[in-house]
Amino acid sequence: MAGYGGYGGGDAGGFMAGSQQGGSQGGGSKYADESLRPVTIKQLLDWEDTYPGMDPTIDGHPITQVTIVGQVRSVKPQPTNITYKIDDGTGAIDVKKWVDSEAQGEGENGSGAGAIAPDAFVRVWGRLKSLGGKKHVSANFIRQIEDFNEVNYHLLEATYVHLFFSKGAAGAGGAKQDGGGDSMFVDQGYGAGGGGADVAMGGAGPGGGNSAMRARLATCSRNAQTICNFINNSPGGTEGVNLHVIAQGTRMNVRDIVNAADELLGQGIIYTTQDDETWAILDY
Amino acid sequence: MDGNSSTPRITCAYLNQYVGKLVTVVGKVVQLRGEEATIDADGTIHAYLNREAHLSANNGVQLIGKVNPDLSIKVLSSIDLGQGVDYSLANAVVEVTHRYKPLFLYEN
Repeated sequence: MAGYGGYGGGDAGGFMAGSQQGGSQGGGSKYADESLRPVTIKQLLDWEDTYPGMDPTIDGHPITQVTIVGQVRSVKPQPTNITYKIDDGTGAIDVKKWVDSEAQGEGENGSGAGAIAPDAFVRVWGRLKSLGGKKHVSANFIRQIEDFNEVNYHLLEATYVHLFFSKGAAGAGGAKQDGGGDSMFVDQGYGAGGGGADVAMGGAGPGGGNSAMRARLATCSRNAQTICNFINNSPGGTEGVNLHVIAQGTRMNVRDIVNAADELLGQGIIYTTQDDETWAILDY
Repeated sequence: MDGNSSTPRITCAYLNQYVGKLVTVVGKVVQLRGEEATIDADGTIHAYLNREAHLSANNGVQLIGKVNPDLSIKVLSSIDLGQGVDYSLANAVVEVTHRYKPLFLYEN
């Protein structure tokens, strides 16, 4: 966990730097919605824009800044930008790094794009753009990877964040105190979601006023936390969410859900509504 | 390689599922004999290298190549990864790749 936290911190730094540039070019996007998400290239390619100018989403969540890791397949210098083809084994996408005319001549000292050769492993921070059905990443920053393990680390991190958004936070580990809670999916709760989800969860807490509940939830089993998260993220409100909806959404079996619900009922975190198999969050 | 194709990361155990397909293998070079190499990627894989390959024994390597019917690999591209490659991490990525396929590979 300690090692992971260290990495997370590094990424968080990248997010800060990137977002400042992004803010000036991003036009209408709100600063509070900025996040930096690790993704595979296939995730970027799989997103389909149904109308031009649509904000990209992955797993139903908007993405602003993304980070990808891959191998450079080709380098094409253009008058205004350098276009790299980046391949991470899941797909390949064009990455455009705009040439900063004032910074020319600094190409050799690492931060400049001129130093990157074909076949090198690189990490890219940028935004996904779609122009006429062709996607590319507009890069804020590209750097060469020194330690190959970062490639594998990135793929696991991308998977972790995908699971975080699609199934809820992991119940165990250091994230428990803050992350076992309910608020990380609400509005901008994940807005700070750089590398470290711990940071994201600890960050904004727009839910407000239910820290006591969070503390109680932290003592519950993983299953209980999962379904509590699920109920909290469902639109049911005070009408509650039915057992079968939970089973479908969390892919847990019915018996586990009933047991976990009993646990949550015992803790006074949820209550039954229309029938014994429909629950709502008490602090809703 | 064009847009919508992937070169899945695999280990020895997955070879038979990918005959005739392009794959990525991260492993350790066990033996080098001319244009043939033996790679350990959670099991021994036999690889036929191309002329551009510059590998060293005991170093990590990433191979991209096509799986032959005899489960050897015809290498199209290889890159030396030096020492310090975490093979258990690489194997974990292979497992994750196959557990969460939509993130990593196109089924075709």
